[in-house]
Amino acid sequence: MTATPSLLNRILLGILGLKLLAVGILLVLLATVPPVATWWHAWSGSAWRSVKQFFDNTRFPGRPESWLWIVMAFALVVLIGLMVAWIAQQGKGRSNLLVAEYDPGTVAGDVRISGGVAEQALKHALAERPDLAGATVATYDVQGSPALKIRLQPRQGVAPHLLAAEVSALVDALDQVVGKQTPVLIHIGAGARTRFSRAERVR
Amino acid sequence: MDGDLDSRQTNRARAQRQPDMRRVVYRETHSSRAAVATVAAVLVMGLAGYGLLESAVHAIGQPAWLIEPQLAAERIVALPAGIPPLLLGASGGVVAMVGLFFLLNAVLPGRRARHVLNGTTLNGTGNSSAVVVDDEVIASALARSARLAANVTPEQVMVVVSRRQIIVNVRPTSGVPVAEAAVLAAVQDELSGMSLVPVPDVRVNISNVGVIGA
Repeated sequence: MTATPSLLNRILLGILGLKLLAVGILLVLLATVPPVATWWHAWSGSAWRSVKQFFDNTRFPGRPESWLWIVMAFALVVLIGLMVAWIAQQGKGRSNLLVAEYDPGTVAGDVRISGGVAEQALKHALAERPDLAGATVATYDVQGSPALKIRLQPRQGVAPHLLAAEVSALVDALDQVVGKQTPVLIHIGAGARTRFSRAERVR
Repeated sequence: MDGDLDSRQTNRARAQRQPDMRRVVYRETHSSRAAVATVAAVLVMGLAGYGLLESAVHAIGQPAWLIEPQLAAERIVALPAGIPPLLLGASGGVVAMVGLFFLLNAVLPGRRARHVLNGTTLNGTGNSSAVVVDDEVIASALARSARLAANVTPEQVMVVVSRRQIIVNVRPTSGVPVAEAAVLAAVQDELSGMSLVPVPDVRVNISNVGVIGA
Protein backbone atom coordinates (compact mmCIF):
# COMPACT_ATOMS: atom_id res chain seq x y z
CA MET A 1 0.00 0.00 0.00
CA THR A 2 2.93 2.31 0.52
CA ALA A 3 4.83 4.00 -2.28
CA THR A 4 7.96 1.92 -1.78
CA PRO A 5 9.71 1.69 -5.18
CA SER A 6 9.57 -2.10 -5.46
CA LEU A 7 11.12 -2.42 -8.91
CA LEU A 8 13.99 -0.07 -8.00
CA ASN A 9 14.55 -2.04 -4.80
CA ARG A 10 14.75 -5.29 -6.73
CA ILE A 11 17.15 -3.87 -9.34
CA LEU A 12 19.51 -2.25 -6.85
CA LEU A 13 19.47 -5.28 -4.54
CA GLY A 14 20.15 -7.51 -7.52
CA ILE A 15 23.15 -5.43 -8.62
CA LEU A 16 24.61 -5.36 -5.11
CA GLY A 17 23.96 -9.07 -4.60
CA LEU A 18 25.61 -10.03 -7.90
CA LYS A 19 28.69 -7.94 -7.13
CA LEU A 20 29.12 -9.33 -3.62
CA LEU A 21 28.54 -12.87 -4.88
CA ALA A 22 31.17 -12.44 -7.61
CA VAL A 23 33.73 -11.04 -5.15
CA GLY A 24 33.04 -13.79 -2.65
CA ILE A 25 33.34 -16.58 -5.24
CA LEU A 26 36.56 -15.02 -6.55
CA LEU A 27 38.03 -15.01 -3.03
CA VAL A 28 37.06 -18.64 -2.45
CA LEU A 29 38.54 -19.67 -5.81
CA LEU A 30 41.74 -17.75 -5.05
CA ALA A 31 42.09 -19.64 -1.81
CA THR A 32 41.39 -23.07 -3.27
CA VAL A 33 42.28 -23.29 -6.99
CA PRO A 34 45.94 -22.45 -7.90
CA PRO A 35 45.35 -21.76 -11.67
CA VAL A 36 42.90 -19.02 -10.70
CA ALA A 37 45.67 -17.41 -8.64
CA THR A 38 48.05 -17.26 -11.60
CA TRP A 39 45.29 -15.81 -13.83
CA TRP A 40 44.45 -13.28 -11.13
CA HIS A 41 48.09 -12.16 -10.83
CA ALA A 42 48.32 -11.57 -14.57
CA TRP A 43 44.99 -9.81 -14.94
CA SER A 44 44.95 -7.66 -11.80
CA GLY A 45 48.66 -6.83 -12.13
CA SER A 46 48.17 -5.32 -15.57
CA ALA A 47 44.98 -3.55 -14.46
CA TRP A 48 46.75 -2.07 -11.43
CA ARG A 49 49.67 -0.88 -13.59
CA SER A 50 47.33 0.96 -15.96
CA VAL A 51 45.46 2.53 -13.03
CA LYS A 52 48.76 3.65 -11.51
CA GLN A 53 49.81 5.11 -14.85
CA PHE A 54 46.55 7.01 -14.99
CA PHE A 55 47.08 8.39 -11.47
CA ASP A 56 50.61 9.47 -12.38
CA ASN A 57 49.32 11.30 -15.44
CA THR A 58 46.74 13.28 -13.47
CA ARG A 59 49.01 14.80 -10.85
CA PHE A 60 48.76 18.40 -9.83
CA PRO A 61 51.69 20.19 -11.43
CA GLY A 62 54.46 20.27 -8.87
CA ARG A 63 52.73 18.07 -6.25
CA PRO A 64 52.80 14.32 -5.66
CA GLU A 65 48.99 13.86 -5.32
CA SER A 66 46.66 13.27 -8.21
CA TRP A 67 43.52 15.36 -8.55
CA LEU A 68 41.74 12.09 -9.24
CA TRP A 69 41.45 11.66 -5.46
CA ILE A 70 39.26 14.74 -5.27
CA VAL A 71 37.09 13.42 -8.10
CA MET A 72 36.81 10.10 -6.30
CA ALA A 73 35.85 11.78 -3.02
CA PHE A 74 33.22 13.80 -4.85
CA ALA A 75 31.82 10.67 -6.55
CA LEU A 76 31.61 8.92 -3.20
CA VAL A 77 29.74 11.89 -1.70
CA VAL A 78 27.27 11.64 -4.57
CA LEU A 79 26.93 7.87 -3.97
CA ILE A 80 26.22 8.42 -0.27
CA GLY A 81 23.64 11.04 -1.18
CA LEU A 82 21.94 8.62 -3.57
CA MET A 83 21.85 5.95 -0.86
CA VAL A 84 20.23 8.39 1.57
CA ALA A 85 17.66 9.24 -1.10
CA TRP A 86 17.03 5.53 -1.65
CA ILE A 87 16.38 4.96 2.05
CA ALA A 88 14.10 7.97 2.13
CA GLN A 89 11.92 6.39 -0.54
CA GLN A 90 11.11 3.34 1.60
CA GLY A 91 7.71 3.06 3.21
CA LYS A 92 6.44 6.44 2.14
CA GLY A 93 2.74 6.95 1.59
CA ARG A 94 0.97 7.63 4.88
CA SER A 95 -1.18 10.72 4.57
CA ASN A 96 -3.54 12.76 6.68
CA LEU A 97 -6.21 13.83 4.24
CA LEU A 98 -9.23 11.74 3.28
CA VAL A 99 -10.74 14.39 1.00
CA ALA A 100 -9.06 17.48 -0.45
CA GLU A 101 -11.20 19.07 -3.14
CA TYR A 102 -12.10 22.45 -4.47
CA ASP A 103 -15.74 23.26 -3.88
CA PRO A 104 -17.11 25.96 -6.24
CA GLY A 105 -20.38 26.30 -4.29
CA THR A 106 -21.93 29.49 -2.86
CA VAL A 107 -18.80 30.01 -0.80
CA ALA A 108 -15.98 28.91 -3.05
CA GLY A 109 -13.04 27.26 -1.36
CA ASP A 110 -11.18 24.07 -0.54
CA VAL A 111 -12.83 21.31 1.43
CA ARG A 112 -10.48 19.12 3.36
CA ILE A 113 -11.50 16.21 5.56
CA SER A 114 -8.81 14.69 7.73
CA GLY A 115 -8.17 10.97 7.62
CA GLY A 116 -8.74 10.98 11.36
CA VAL A 117 -12.48 11.21 10.68
CA ALA A 118 -12.55 7.85 8.95
CA GLU A 119 -10.06 6.33 11.36
CA GLN A 120 -11.97 7.37 14.47
CA ALA A 121 -15.41 6.50 13.06
CA LEU A 122 -14.41 3.03 11.87
CA LYS A 123 -12.39 2.26 14.97
CA HIS A 124 -15.31 3.22 17.15
CA ALA A 125 -17.72 1.12 15.10
CA LEU A 126 -15.40 -1.89 15.22
CA ALA A 127 -14.37 -1.57 18.87
CA GLU A 128 -17.48 -3.19 20.31
CA ARG A 129 -17.50 -6.28 18.11
CA PRO A 130 -16.88 -9.40 20.19
CA ASP A 131 -15.36 -11.32 17.28
CA LEU A 132 -12.44 -8.90 16.80
CA ALA A 133 -9.30 -8.92 18.91
CA GLY A 134 -8.08 -5.70 17.32
CA ALA A 135 -8.64 -3.28 14.49
CA THR A 136 -6.53 -0.46 13.09
CA VAL A 137 -7.42 2.02 10.37
CA ALA A 138 -4.88 4.11 8.47
CA THR A 139 -5.08 6.59 5.61
CA TYR A 140 -2.65 6.23 2.72
CA ASP A 141 -1.85 8.23 -0.34
CA VAL A 142 -1.95 5.81 -3.29
CA GLN A 143 -0.77 7.37 -6.53
CA GLY A 144 -2.05 10.76 -5.51
CA SER A 145 -5.48 9.78 -4.23
CA PRO A 146 -6.43 8.89 -0.66
CA ALA A 147 -7.20 5.32 0.34
CA LEU A 148 -8.03 3.57 3.59
CA LYS A 149 -6.40 0.46 4.96
CA ILE A 150 -8.39 -1.42 7.56
CA ARG A 151 -6.50 -4.11 9.40
CA LEU A 152 -8.69 -6.53 11.33
CA GLN A 153 -7.60 -9.22 13.75
CA PRO A 154 -10.51 -11.60 14.20
CA ARG A 155 -10.63 -14.21 16.92
CA GLN A 156 -10.11 -17.83 15.93
CA GLY A 157 -12.79 -19.41 13.78
CA VAL A 158 -14.43 -16.23 12.48
CA ALA A 159 -15.46 -16.58 8.83
CA PRO A 160 -13.43 -13.92 6.96
CA HIS A 161 -15.93 -13.38 4.13
CA LEU A 162 -18.81 -12.56 6.47
CA LEU A 163 -16.59 -10.20 8.47
CA ALA A 164 -15.43 -8.51 5.27
CA ALA A 165 -19.00 -8.04 4.07
CA GLU A 166 -20.04 -6.42 7.36
CA VAL A 167 -17.03 -4.14 7.47
CA SER A 168 -17.54 -3.05 3.87
CA ALA A 169 -21.12 -2.14 4.80
CA LEU A 170 -19.60 0.13 7.46
CA VAL A 171 -17.31 1.60 4.81
CA ASP A 172 -20.32 2.24 2.56
CA ALA A 173 -21.96 4.16 5.40
CA LEU A 174 -18.77 6.18 5.82
CA ASP A 175 -18.72 6.93 2.10
CA GLN A 176 -22.28 8.26 2.40
CA VAL A 177 -21.21 10.59 5.20
CA VAL A 178 -18.07 11.82 3.48
CA GLY A 179 -19.87 12.08 0.14
CA LYS A 180 -17.13 10.44 -1.85
CA GLN A 181 -16.18 6.86 -2.50
CA THR A 182 -12.81 6.06 -0.95
CA PRO A 183 -10.90 2.99 -2.11
CA VAL A 184 -10.49 0.59 0.80
CA LEU A 185 -8.17 -2.31 1.46
CA ILE A 186 -9.38 -4.67 4.17
CA HIS A 187 -6.65 -6.90 5.54
CA ILE A 188 -7.87 -9.69 7.78
CA GLY A 189 -4.82 -10.97 9.57
CA ALA A 190 -3.64 -13.10 12.41
CA GLY A 191 -1.27 -12.05 15.14
CA ALA A 192 -0.19 -12.87 18.64
CA ARG A 193 -3.39 -11.37 20.02
CA THR A 194 -5.59 -13.72 17.99
CA ARG A 195 -3.39 -16.77 18.43
CA PHE A 196 -3.46 -16.79 22.20
CA SER A 197 -6.98 -15.55 22.74
CA ARG A 198 -9.94 -17.86 23.19
CA ALA A 199 -12.04 -18.84 20.21
CA GLU A 200 -15.21 -16.94 19.46
CA ARG A 201 -18.08 -19.25 20.35
CA VAL A 202 -21.12 -17.05 19.91
CA ARG A 203 -21.21 -16.64 16.15
CA MET B 1 -0.52 33.07 -5.52
CA ASP B 2 -0.10 31.59 -8.98
CA GLY B 3 1.76 28.60 -7.59
CA ASP B 4 -1.05 27.96 -5.13
CA LEU B 5 -3.64 27.87 -7.91
CA ASP B 6 -1.54 25.50 -9.96
CA SER B 7 -1.08 23.05 -7.13
CA ARG B 8 -4.80 23.15 -6.43
CA GLN B 9 -5.59 22.21 -10.00
CA THR B 10 -3.18 19.32 -10.03
CA ASN B 11 -4.69 18.14 -6.75
CA ARG B 12 -8.11 18.13 -8.33
CA ALA B 13 -6.88 16.24 -11.38
CA ARG B 14 -5.30 13.70 -9.08
CA ALA B 15 -8.36 13.21 -6.95
CA GLN B 16 -10.46 12.20 -9.94
CA ARG B 17 -8.15 9.32 -10.81
CA GLN B 18 -8.83 6.10 -8.94
CA PRO B 19 -5.82 4.12 -7.78
CA ASP B 20 -5.17 0.75 -9.36
CA MET B 21 -6.50 -1.76 -6.84
CA ARG B 22 -4.62 -4.63 -8.50
CA ARG B 23 -1.38 -2.86 -7.65
CA VAL B 24 -2.48 -2.29 -4.07
CA VAL B 25 -3.45 -5.96 -3.71
CA TYR B 26 -0.12 -7.04 -5.22
CA ARG B 27 1.68 -4.90 -2.66
CA GLU B 28 -0.32 -6.50 0.11
CA THR B 29 0.16 -10.12 -0.95
CA HIS B 30 3.90 -9.80 -1.66
CA SER B 31 6.47 -8.93 0.92
CA SER B 32 8.20 -5.58 0.83
CA ARG B 33 11.92 -5.25 0.33
CA ALA B 34 12.11 -1.99 2.24
CA ALA B 35 14.02 -3.42 5.21
CA VAL B 36 16.53 -5.33 3.04
CA ALA B 37 16.95 -2.29 0.81
CA THR B 38 17.69 -0.13 3.85
CA VAL B 39 20.29 -2.63 5.08
CA ALA B 40 21.91 -2.69 1.64
CA ALA B 41 21.95 1.10 1.44
CA VAL B 42 23.54 1.38 4.89
CA LEU B 43 26.17 -1.19 3.88
CA VAL B 44 27.03 0.72 0.71
CA MET B 45 27.06 3.98 2.68
CA GLY B 46 29.50 2.53 5.18
CA LEU B 47 31.88 1.35 2.48
CA ALA B 48 31.57 4.61 0.58
CA GLY B 49 32.11 6.60 3.77
CA TYR B 50 35.36 4.77 4.44
CA GLY B 51 36.46 5.27 0.82
CA LEU B 52 35.56 8.94 1.07
CA LEU B 53 37.65 9.35 4.22
CA GLU B 54 40.69 7.69 2.72
CA SER B 55 40.48 9.49 -0.60
CA ALA B 56 39.92 12.87 1.05
CA VAL B 57 42.87 12.28 3.39
CA HIS B 58 44.96 11.31 0.38
CA ALA B 59 43.84 14.30 -1.66
CA ILE B 60 45.10 16.77 0.92
CA GLY B 61 48.35 14.84 1.35
CA GLN B 62 47.86 13.54 4.87
CA PRO B 63 48.88 10.04 6.04
CA ALA B 64 46.19 7.39 5.58
CA TRP B 65 43.83 6.45 8.39
CA LEU B 66 43.85 2.65 8.22
CA ILE B 67 45.78 1.64 5.11
CA GLU B 68 47.41 3.47 2.24
CA PRO B 69 45.28 2.87 -0.91
CA GLN B 70 48.34 1.96 -2.98
CA LEU B 71 49.47 -0.57 -0.42
CA ALA B 72 45.96 -2.03 -0.26
CA ALA B 73 45.82 -2.39 -4.05
CA GLU B 74 49.22 -4.09 -4.12
CA ARG B 75 48.13 -6.52 -1.45
CA ILE B 76 44.95 -7.30 -3.36
CA VAL B 77 46.97 -7.97 -6.51
CA ALA B 78 49.23 -10.37 -4.60
CA LEU B 79 46.25 -11.99 -2.98
CA PRO B 80 46.64 -15.71 -2.35
CA ALA B 81 49.95 -14.80 -0.73
CA GLY B 82 50.04 -12.80 2.50
CA ILE B 83 46.94 -14.28 4.12
CA PRO B 84 46.15 -17.80 5.40
CA PRO B 85 44.13 -19.62 2.68
CA LEU B 86 41.59 -20.77 5.26
CA LEU B 87 40.87 -17.19 6.31
CA LEU B 88 40.69 -16.05 2.70
CA GLY B 89 38.29 -18.83 1.77
CA ALA B 90 36.13 -18.25 4.83
CA SER B 91 35.85 -14.51 4.26
CA GLY B 92 35.08 -15.17 0.59
CA GLY B 93 32.34 -17.56 1.64
CA VAL B 94 30.83 -14.97 3.97
CA VAL B 95 30.86 -12.28 1.26
CA ALA B 96 29.32 -14.72 -1.23
CA MET B 97 26.58 -15.63 1.27
CA VAL B 98 25.71 -11.96 1.84
CA GLY B 99 25.62 -11.44 -1.92
CA LEU B 100 23.40 -14.49 -2.38
CA PHE B 101 21.04 -13.19 0.30
CA PHE B 102 20.62 -9.86 -1.49
CA LEU B 103 20.36 -11.54 -4.90
CA LEU B 104 17.66 -13.98 -3.76
CA ASN B 105 15.75 -11.13 -2.16
CA ALA B 106 15.84 -9.36 -5.50
CA VAL B 107 14.87 -12.35 -7.64
CA LEU B 108 12.40 -14.45 -5.62
CA PRO B 109 8.71 -13.52 -5.88
CA GLY B 110 8.35 -13.08 -2.11
CA ARG B 111 4.74 -14.17 -1.81
CA ARG B 112 3.14 -13.86 1.58
CA ALA B 113 0.85 -16.54 2.97
CA ARG B 114 -2.26 -14.58 2.04
CA HIS B 115 -5.23 -14.98 -0.27
CA VAL B 116 -7.42 -12.41 -1.95
CA LEU B 117 -11.13 -12.60 -1.24
CA ASN B 118 -13.04 -12.06 -4.44
CA GLY B 119 -14.65 -8.62 -4.48
CA THR B 120 -17.90 -9.75 -6.07
CA THR B 121 -19.22 -11.05 -2.77
CA LEU B 122 -19.04 -7.60 -1.24
CA ASN B 123 -22.24 -5.62 -1.30
CA GLY B 124 -21.99 -3.08 -4.05
CA THR B 125 -18.58 -1.58 -3.35
CA GLY B 126 -17.27 -3.38 -6.42
CA ASN B 127 -13.97 -2.33 -7.81
CA SER B 128 -12.67 0.18 -5.32
CA SER B 129 -12.31 -2.10 -2.32
CA ALA B 130 -10.32 -5.26 -1.88
CA VAL B 131 -10.02 -7.85 0.86
CA VAL B 132 -6.81 -9.72 1.65
CA VAL B 133 -6.87 -12.53 4.22
CA ASP B 134 -4.01 -14.26 6.01
CA ASP B 135 -3.97 -18.02 5.39
CA GLU B 136 -4.03 -18.55 9.15
CA VAL B 137 -7.44 -16.89 9.42
CA ILE B 138 -8.80 -19.01 6.55
CA ALA B 139 -7.43 -22.12 8.26
CA SER B 140 -9.07 -21.33 11.58
CA ALA B 141 -12.42 -20.62 9.92
CA LEU B 142 -12.27 -23.87 7.95
CA ALA B 143 -11.19 -25.78 11.06
CA ARG B 144 -14.26 -24.48 12.83
CA SER B 145 -16.66 -25.68 10.12
CA ALA B 146 -14.84 -29.03 9.84
CA ARG B 147 -15.03 -29.45 13.60
CA LEU B 148 -18.79 -28.79 13.62
CA ALA B 149 -19.35 -31.24 10.74
CA ALA B 150 -17.23 -33.97 12.33
CA ASN B 151 -18.52 -33.30 15.85
CA VAL B 152 -15.08 -33.35 17.46
CA THR B 153 -13.16 -31.00 19.74
CA PRO B 154 -10.97 -28.18 18.32
CA GLU B 155 -7.80 -30.08 19.22
CA GLN B 156 -8.72 -32.95 16.92
CA VAL B 157 -8.80 -30.84 13.74
CA MET B 158 -5.77 -29.38 12.02
CA VAL B 159 -6.03 -27.40 8.79
CA VAL B 160 -3.06 -26.43 6.63
CA VAL B 161 -3.68 -23.74 4.02
CA SER B 162 -1.14 -23.21 1.27
CA ARG B 163 -1.45 -21.28 -1.95
CA ARG B 164 -3.18 -23.95 -4.02
CA GLN B 165 -4.07 -26.64 -1.51
CA ILE B 166 -5.94 -27.03 1.73
CA ILE B 167 -5.38 -30.13 3.84
CA VAL B 168 -7.85 -30.93 6.61
CA ASN B 169 -6.61 -33.49 9.13
CA VAL B 170 -9.25 -34.94 11.45
CA ARG B 171 -8.55 -37.37 14.30
CA PRO B 172 -11.89 -38.92 15.23
CA THR B 173 -12.94 -39.76 18.75
CA SER B 174 -12.31 -43.43 19.39
CA GLY B 175 -15.40 -45.47 18.55
CA VAL B 176 -17.25 -42.62 16.86
CA PRO B 177 -16.88 -42.76 13.06
CA VAL B 178 -16.44 -39.50 11.15
CA ALA B 179 -18.03 -39.13 7.71
CA GLU B 180 -15.34 -37.88 5.38
CA ALA B 181 -17.89 -36.71 2.82
CA ALA B 182 -19.71 -34.57 5.37
CA VAL B 183 -16.47 -32.87 6.48
CA LEU B 184 -15.46 -32.28 2.86
CA ALA B 185 -18.89 -30.84 2.03
CA ALA B 186 -18.80 -28.51 5.03
CA VAL B 187 -15.31 -27.25 4.19
CA GLN B 188 -16.18 -26.83 0.48
CA ASP B 189 -19.30 -24.91 1.42
CA GLU B 190 -17.38 -22.51 3.66
CA LEU B 191 -14.69 -22.15 1.01
CA SER B 192 -17.13 -21.39 -1.80
CA GLY B 193 -18.54 -18.60 0.38
CA MET B 194 -15.07 -17.06 0.59
CA SER B 195 -14.32 -17.43 -3.17
CA LEU B 196 -10.57 -17.16 -2.77
CA VAL B 197 -8.13 -16.20 -5.51
CA PRO B 198 -6.36 -18.51 -6.43
CA VAL B 199 -8.84 -21.31 -5.70
CA PRO B 200 -7.23 -24.04 -3.57
CA ASP B 201 -8.10 -27.75 -3.71
CA VAL B 202 -9.38 -29.39 -0.55
CA ARG B 203 -8.19 -32.73 0.79
CA VAL B 204 -9.56 -34.35 3.92
CA ASN B 205 -7.51 -36.89 5.85
CA ILE B 206 -9.31 -38.92 8.48
CA SER B 207 -6.74 -40.42 10.82
CA ASN B 208 -6.79 -44.19 11.39
CA VAL B 209 -5.99 -43.69 15.06
CA GLY B 210 -8.73 -42.35 17.27
CA VAL B 211 -8.48 -40.14 20.33
CA ILE B 212 -9.59 -41.61 23.63
CA GLY B 213 -11.61 -39.58 26.07
CA ALA B 214 -12.19 -36.56 23.86
